[in-house]
Amino acid sequence: MLFPTTDFAIFFCLVFLGHWWLNHNPRVWKPFMIAASYVFYGWWNWRYVFLLAAVSLITQASAIAVDHQRQPKRRTAALALGVAATIAPLLYFKYYGFFTVNVTNAATTFGLHVAPPLIQVVLPVGVSFYTFMAIAYLVDIYRGDFEIASWVDLFLYLSFFPHLVAGPIVRPNELIPQLVVRRDPRHIDVADAMWLILGGLFKKVVIANYLAGAVVDPVFGDPARHSSPEAIVGIVAYAVQIYCDFSGYTDIAIGVAKLLGFRFPQNFDRPYSARSVQEFWRRWHMTLSRWLRDYLYIPLGGNRKGTARIYRNLMITMLLGGLWHGAAWHFVVWGGLHGAYLTVGHWKDGKREAGQLAEPPETALVHWMQRLATFTLVCIAWTLFRADSVATALALLARTVTAWGLPSPLLTRPVLLAISAGLVTQFLPHRPAERLRAALSRLRPVPLGVTVAVVLFLITTLGPRGVAPFIYFQF
Amino acid sequence: MTTDTKERATKEPRRPDEQADAPPAGRRGMPAGRVLVVLLLGILLWGALYAPELKRSSEAQPEGLRRTVSLAILDPVVWVEDRLGLTRLIDNATQALGRHPNEPVGGGVGGLQDVDPLPSVPEPGNTPKHPQRDTTIRIPTSAKPLRVVIVGDSLAQGIGSFAERVFKPSLVDVIKQGRISTGLARPDYFNWPAQMRLIVDRSHPDLTIVMLGENDAQSLVTPGGQLEAQIGTGDFPPAYEQRVRSFARLATSEGGHVIWVGLPNPRDTKRWPFIEHQNVAFREVADQLPNVAFFDTWTTFSAAGGGYTAYYHDGKRLTLVRADDGVHFNADGYTILMRLVARFVTQQFKLDPRSYEG
Repeated sequence: MLFPTTDFAIFFCLVFLGHWWLNHNPRVWKPFMIAASYVFYGWWNWRYVFLLAAVSLITQASAIAVDHQRQPKRRTAALALGVAATIAPLLYFKYYGFFTVNVTNAATTFGLHVAPPLIQVVLPVGVSFYTFMAIAYLVDIYRGDFEIASWVDLFLYLSFFPHLVAGPIVRPNELIPQLVVRRDPRHIDVADAMWLILGGLFKKVVIANYLAGAVVDPVFGDPARHSSPEAIVGIVAYAVQIYCDFSGYTDIAIGVAKLLGFRFPQNFDRPYSARSVQEFWRRWHMTLSRWLRDYLYIPLGGNRKGTARIYRNLMITMLLGGLWHGAAWHFVVWGGLHGAYLTVGHWKDGKREAGQLAEPPETALVHWMQRLATFTLVCIAWTLFRADSVATALALLARTVTAWGLPSPLLTRPVLLAISAGLVTQFLPHRPAERLRAALSRLRPVPLGVTVAVVLFLITTLGPRGVAPFIYFQF
Repeated sequence: MTTDTKERATKEPRRPDEQADAPPAGRRGMPAGRVLVVLLLGILLWGALYAPELKRSSEAQPEGLRRTVSLAILDPVVWVEDRLGLTRLIDNATQALGRHPNEPVGGGVGGLQDVDPLPSVPEPGNTPKHPQRDTTIRIPTSAKPLRVVIVGDSLAQGIGSFAERVFKPSLVDVIKQGRISTGLARPDYFNWPAQMRLIVDRSHPDLTIVMLGENDAQSLVTPGGQLEAQIGTGDFPPAYEQRVRSFARLATSEGGHVIWVGLPNPRDTKRWPFIEHQNVAFREVADQLPNVAFFDTWTTFSAAGGGYTAYYHDGKRLTLVRADDGVHFNADGYTILMRLVARFVTQQFKLDPRSYEG
């Protein structure tokens, strides 16, 4: 089920009613919420609810096995087995096609005949997200950071519909404790929830969908037919599109959870205001960044064992992060590029700490130059992310310098306005928005309902017709 | 991913969290019952404001329970709004926000978004009207490039995007006119013959690549919405073939050429018999009319035994070509399909091979 649909609106009203009606009785409330979440998931393809159930089952069984082992080696072996079993469906669904094509073609190159079964494996929506949450749970149990949850709580933790299909990746200690304590129905932060939901819808429906059709898809579709200004604007527009699309989705998810009395972690914090790529990753898809840090980078050795190992760990983490986004080489190169950015950043930090490199002056001009440089580096990487192949990405990047003087019909006022709107949000002060939310919170239900309706009408009318899926659904 | 943060996840004990979701100072919370009022009022009022658009979308859906229920709810709402003059008010507001209320899907002629504007050609082409037999396509030059128009549904949108890559920009102007969710069955929703007439009059395409029919497994209605042929009855096949023939005639009426790209086999084998009949109709029309040729997508992208496969092997390289939905192609698939179509045009109508790559 997609958030910006009438199906979801009806579904959510029914779940909202059931949730607050049954909330006082966890024995009924939890199965109700699990059932609702499975309906939400099964709306897309009912067969995959069995996959979600199987991953939940494997995770909890593995967690119990890990928890019962007292001997460290056995405990580690149980964890390894559990993680392998949990991640196996993800590997199969996500990488089977990629593996089949690359192995077959590599074998052909060497004159060998390999014929793996040519199965088309359809990637279930959200499988990466709930698999990551399942691994976080297993590892936290192994580390002793979290106690075994009940079966019902674990099933609800993994399937809870606001986060189910595209995150945020909520850690066990952030959500499970909330599941075991009754939610308070007296003080719902409705103003903030509506702000997030309507703001998220605006970003997704009006800005992201519009930019996709008006400039991003044409420019990335065929770089050779576009001028340098169009190529540059197309790349920048994609940076805005993916931010508005993904942060819009997670804003809606956080807002929906808030209406049910749950608090989710923040996932985006003005990423394009970052002054370095390291800072960018502290602001972009924050729940994935910390997952990669805690469950991949640190187990690889993290910042320990010398500089060379740090660089290696950074590269491995980002390459795997790239591959997680998609089973294609352009995602791997995107991850590798970010790994290289982070490695250079880390190297520069080391030089500065050792006094071998001067600290840049702390002036506004330097800060803006740093922001521009970071944004440029991020945009170059986004080109690899969005293009359908490395070759197309390189062709588009080359086009940014080789096609000046050609007409640029795609550079219309609405396109530039939408891009500006997406970028300006990165630098707006917090206080006016907070005041607006405070004012909204003082409205009585009827005026607030009318405000919601009018804003919804504006959003649905301003946006292109039809429902475009969220970019991160495919990951 | 950062390196300057703590190396261990913070160990946080379970803690009662009942008030954590309450609003911070400065914002007031609201009890759940009142929030439900906000939600219901917001959604119902939005539904009323957006009812004319929702009704238009529902009318466009294929016949079925969902369409029937939607229209049963929306018809009386729109009827009341019409009587109260609200529809006009809402339409005016919609227009003020930059959208024409009755604009066809994907925009009008010379439309918006992913639909290219139709360029006007000052002087008509020199080619004969209503050709009596197959002719060849003229040799393009950079001064007078070929005009290739891609029309059809979402599959046509796909090949349109990748046609731009396959045809050389210096010799071929690609005009993308694909519109999602359209077909020949429902001219009340999107009138393809009327659109094709405008395309021919305004653009004089040298070549029209048609990929239509994926959404036509429904009864045929007239532009006014009256039933013409019920799906599943004996009336349907000849009526559908007639629509295909009229469309192809229209596309070649100014001497242009048409490649009718057949539908591929979808993963869902239950849909095969209907699509096979459609492909037979496309092929028969192409056989009968001059300057029209049929490209057999089904056979080209089938497995060795004739079944569905998501992969394509060109003798050297294996490529995953179908999208996850088992209907559309992915980027590689559309590119391969478009290259094969371009070669087919050369084979059929002597298109200069320098006009495209691959």
